[in-house]
Amino acid sequence: MTEDIPSTPRKDLLTIGELSREEILSILETAKPFKELFTRSVKKVPTLRGKTVLNLFYEPSTRTRTSFEIAAKRLSADVTNFAVSTSSVVKGESILDTIDTLQSMQVDYMVVRHKVSGVPEYIARHTHAAVINAGDGYHAHPTQALLDAFTFQEIYPEMDGHRIVVAGDILHSRVARSVFEVMHQLGVEVGTFGPATLVPDTVPDFVTILTSFEEVLEFNPHVLYLLRLQLERQQANFFPSMREYHRQYGVTLDRFKILRDRGTWIMHPGPVNRGVELVDDVMSYERTLINTQVENGIATRMAILYHLTPEERKRPEPEAGQ
Amino acid sequence: MSELLFQGGQLAVTTQSDLLQADIRVLDGIIQEIGPHLQASDQHQVINCSGKILIPALADAHVHLREPGREDAETIASGTEAALAGGFTHVLAMPNTDPPIDTGGMVTFVQTMARNKARIPVSVAGSLTQGREGSKLAEIADMATQGVVMVTDCNHALQDEYVLRRALEYTRHFDMVVGVYPDTPSLSREGVMHEGRESFRLGLPGIPAMAEEIGIERDLRVAHAVKGRIHVQNVSTAEGVATIRRFKERGLNVTAETTPHHLLLNHSALEGYGTRFKMMPPLRTPEDQAALLEGLKDGTLDMIATGHAPHTDFEKNLDFLNAPFGVVGLETALLCVYSDLILSGQLGWDTLIERLSSAPRLLMKSPLTTFEPGHGFECTILDPSLQTTVSRESFQSQSFNSPWLGETLKGGISAVWRGETDLLG
Amino acid sequence: MQEHPVLNPHEMDAAIRQLGERIFERHGTGPLAMVGIQTRGVTLAERLETVLMEKGVDLLHGTLDISLYRDDLSNLAALPHVKGSEIPFEVEDATILLCDDVLFTGRTIRAAMNVLLDYGRPNRIELAVLVDRGHRELPIAATYTGIEVQTAKEDYLRVHFQETDGSDQVIHYAQEGS
Repeated sequence: MTEDIPSTPRKDLLTIGELSREEILSILETAKPFKELFTRSVKKVPTLRGKTVLNLFYEPSTRTRTSFEIAAKRLSADVTNFAVSTSSVVKGESILDTIDTLQSMQVDYMVVRHKVSGVPEYIARHTHAAVINAGDGYHAHPTQALLDAFTFQEIYPEMDGHRIVVAGDILHSRVARSVFEVMHQLGVEVGTFGPATLVPDTVPDFVTILTSFEEVLEFNPHVLYLLRLQLERQQANFFPSMREYHRQYGVTLDRFKILRDRGTWIMHPGPVNRGVELVDDVMSYERTLINTQVENGIATRMAILYHLTPEERKRPEPEAGQ
Repeated sequence: MSELLFQGGQLAVTTQSDLLQADIRVLDGIIQEIGPHLQASDQHQVINCSGKILIPALADAHVHLREPGREDAETIASGTEAALAGGFTHVLAMPNTDPPIDTGGMVTFVQTMARNKARIPVSVAGSLTQGREGSKLAEIADMATQGVVMVTDCNHALQDEYVLRRALEYTRHFDMVVGVYPDTPSLSREGVMHEGRESFRLGLPGIPAMAEEIGIERDLRVAHAVKGRIHVQNVSTAEGVATIRRFKERGLNVTAETTPHHLLLNHSALEGYGTRFKMMPPLRTPEDQAALLEGLKDGTLDMIATGHAPHTDFEKNLDFLNAPFGVVGLETALLCVYSDLILSGQLGWDTLIERLSSAPRLLMKSPLTTFEPGHGFECTILDPSLQTTVSRESFQSQSFNSPWLGETLKGGISAVWRGETDLLG
Repeated sequence: MQEHPVLNPHEMDAAIRQLGERIFERHGTGPLAMVGIQTRGVTLAERLETVLMEKGVDLLHGTLDISLYRDDLSNLAALPHVKGSEIPFEVEDATILLCDDVLFTGRTIRAAMNVLLDYGRPNRIELAVLVDRGHRELPIAATYTGIEVQTAKEDYLRVHFQETDGSDQVIHYAQEGS
């Protein structure tokens, strides 16, 4: 006999904002036994046997795609990767055309990555499959945020009252938006740090904008979360040079020493630009959680797949009088 | 000789914000008499208008009819039928067709098509620069000879102040206006919605209000310096309204328009990423809405224009970045202004007919349709007892990219009279 | 629904003791690995362990969560909470006694055996249940049964434990008229 999660089944995971605190905690709780699985000789469970998970990546991302692929396979699902070239949009195939095609392939779960915000939501409205947003535009990356919350919770089981600083290019970051929300929901105090060009005043009210590394130290975060900097931002004059970015907003060697003395944990969604967001030494620091995040990514994504329920596919009704 | 008596209706008139209970006698298509309880003689055909509202037929100084070039989205025929269904009997067609309307010859070509295909007059705007490329002036005098009342490059905002200056100087000898689209492309860049909290939350690139504010300020300064005649299209920001007001006070001959959607909607409508709400300039904030309404009331904004911009389902079904800007508006303009602004008492009928009929007609040099003896009888009849559900089936337009699709608006347009004919009958 | 008490606290204690006796008869002092199925199977295993420990049996202890091995996930209105399994001993060549409160369709036991086999190849798996209510859908039988109860398929049968439910008893909820 088991107790049931008292909520109507959720079809899609599109943003953190749609999840209640209880639902987030329930997903994180589910991720724990999945992580324990990895220590067994057979790392697989038959939960999704006979189901099909489709990785629909309109934007290449080997890391996230692989993480989902392993997660799905450990649940015994069949996994198909469907790489869509964005040029097909120009050629006149709309997203709906693609979805219609995939719909007829009887897919149960769709993992969607798209460079344009809102596309997973749009797809979710047009398919019976459960849709998981694997990152859309600058909008949301809920699975990343959940795995980050899981990682945070492993270190600090009571997250309430702890502090995190998310540093870097907030403006163009779906990770930042989702991490802000998940941490806030779980009672973590959120600060942010980055060039004023990349940290707009339009961040949510609960986020404290820090304008210097000294202010970051004063905020005294338990976790410093560094975002990957897209190097092309420099071309658009968001900051003058990589060198200046690193010195002003990165974890330099001097800053690293202070953080290490304080025992501050470091997180990063990867891949890391060494010498930009952080100096190389951070990578071998015992409180750098970057690899843990990757491992936890699989367990969390398994929990998410487990948590979602595709709509029953309706068989076409026989037409009247025929 | 034919005589019609429109009896029992309520009239929207220029002299009061409320409706006026009066009858109208029309002889051979010309208004003869207006007054209460006009007597019907034997020759009169009586049109019972009891319970209905008679509005001077509307005009729209900003529509895209897409022909030639994009007949899959709209044609002159379907676009003008959409206008009629919405109560409009005169429209000004924008020149961003394919090829663009940038020569006297193209103007004549489109005018000829319109005469053959449309049941209402279509004025044609010409391009300001050749190919709408923003560098060389189009043959403006040639187009003026063909009756062009406005030259504009539409959504290709002029980037070069020198070209703008020359255009505003050159057009002074011709009885026409230079239409400008208020934008600073180097600031709006790849933006797709109003820059603010909503755009941050939705993760979409923003278009800052200052792109429009600077655009208006710049264009009006140039017009003021060279005493040009300028018309600002699609105003969407509070600061833009304030700038126009300031230049009007300084005596600049400027007119300006805003749209029903910018008056009635704001950026929160983009929740859910509906491309039916993607337009340029973008939907702004509630504060901007309030300033637009204020500007509309005090006359800073002379007219409401729909900016009717048809796009096919295929185009609008693209993702939010790639879907084109623009929404259709002809068939919903009157009803949503009536539903949201008139019935709530925020706007009077006198202002409504000024902004939706008289001002655009002045700009297009089209005879006024206000109810006065001697004016030709052109009248849109609104039935307040009806409701109109905006649906694909109800549309005359070939495109359905309306923000109000699926909504039910109060009132229904039951007839559009011109002279002795009900064009919807 | 009609409530029929099946076992009172006294009878339940006796039934568990008797189960323990029979297990001891067969296995002597072990070693024996007791594995309870979440949630009430775990309690039954603990009760049996108390009995067996008094007799000096060498016991190992584990718990199983079968949520991820269920074959009816898509038919459930709500998802079961995954509690996780804990098998802190070597499964290879172990003698394992699976414990559950009620044996019904047999699907839970099928899933539990699948989980166990993913940990290794045990020497032997046996099954102890407090109540067998019939209606098997798989060819599975208990090695040790506390009590057999005649039920209709739609009936409910609940085992209550002091630890989880406040009292020890077994109740059969029969549909009206059955």
